Amino acid sequence: MIQKKICMVGVFGTGKTSLVRQFVHSKFSERYLSTVGVKIDRKSVEVDGEDVNLLLWDLAGRDDVEDIQTSYLRGAAGVLYVVDGTRRETFDQAFELRDVVRGAIGHVPAVIALNKSDLRDAWALAPADMTRLEEDGWNAIATSAKDGIGVEEAFRRLALATVRTA
Amino acid sequence: MHLGEFDVFGATHPGKKREQNEDQFLVATLHKAMEVRQTSLDSADALAQSTRSDAHLLVVADGVGGHAGGRVASGTAVEALTEYIAQTTGVSYGLDVALEEELLGQLERAVRHSHARIKSHFPGAGTGPATTLTMVTLTWPRAYVVHVGDSRGYYLRKGRLKQFTQDQTMAELLIDEGVMSEGQADGTNLHNVLASAVGGTIKPVISLLDLQDEDWIVLCSDGLTKHVEDDVMRATLESSASAEAACESLIQQALDGGGSDNITAVVARCSASG
Repeated sequence: MIQKKICMVGVFGTGKTSLVRQFVHSKFSERYLSTVGVKIDRKSVEVDGEDVNLLLWDLAGRDDVEDIQTSYLRGAAGVLYVVDGTRRETFDQAFELRDVVRGAIGHVPAVIALNKSDLRDAWALAPADMTRLEEDGWNAIATSAKDGIGVEEAFRRLALATVRTA
Repeated sequence: MHLGEFDVFGATHPGKKREQNEDQFLVATLHKAMEVRQTSLDSADALAQSTRSDAHLLVVADGVGGHAGGRVASGTAVEALTEYIAQTTGVSYGLDVALEEELLGQLERAVRHSHARIKSHFPGAGTGPATTLTMVTLTWPRAYVVHVGDSRGYYLRKGRLKQFTQDQTMAELLIDEGVMSEGQADGTNLHNVLASAVGGTIKPVISLLDLQDEDWIVLCSDGLTKHVEDDVMRATLESSASAEAACESLIQQALDGGGSDNITAVVARCSASG
């Protein structure tokens, strides 16, 4: 079976662990526990008629973009950037994180999850932000780790991109 | 080239209230080395250096099951784990990205091998003896963790103590799933009921940490954390001159605090060197 290492990247509290949990275990918890180091899960998906074993490296979110430990990124076949759609600054930080990731491991397939889409009243991203993502070539998808909306699709898109890039 | 050095020590004590000690621990060093006996290469010294690598294996297991079952379960788990790792040390110990996932897979398979061994010792419907198992493999600059149950792993870095394992108890599970609050769970005995155990229902959690110079790592059974608060653990590590001194001091403090359960601690002090 093909194996692909996927890194979850985003600043603290964007929902990286919750997305993995929803994707792997179909569960969501309101309780926030910050990740220490890296937590590793796996899930197999079928893309293009092939079974792909995704090794999901859930990197601890940091306060600052510069704090990301790039040694964890080595060997990654794809990156899932996670933005908290209710915290505008996490959107801008995703661009900075992408620069850091590219500096460490070069260009690898990526998807950006605009997470917490269930919190519509608190949503802080504007249509212009979507345009900016599109113009910048991001593969973006709105997700809700709570409701499960977009979660499977985000990982499948990334899995497909990693297989087609290989 | 930084290789890192680890000062490691482990100890266990039955405590003041239990006749049997159902805890087990293991501290081991894994070597993979090639000894260059003769060569025409100019770089023989460097080659010898690059082909030697070490890893340190730390394990704490806390058996449950009553009578002699808990001790047998934890002992069987650690023995089976050790055998498996000894037989499969084909991987290189050192930070190699390509082999890192192989190492993690090997460690998880070792835990599942222990699980199968206990199951074969105690066939039945999953109600037999079982054990927690918290295992850390240290190979500079990484700590690879496989965790099952409610024995704990902590690290101390720059004055901050952090728990890097999450207790796999029914209380934690139900809080996580929103069935009850932490306050409600505190009024029950669900903190003492394992939601995941080797020999029971097993849900291993795999994780890793980057190590830094002067980090401390502690693995311990709940007999320690019942009586030693985080602040006390932090102060003890900070004031200890060696892993042995820290380990013995932690166990003594758990005894002084009541020693209501078996007490086990494995302590490692990390230092960058080379």
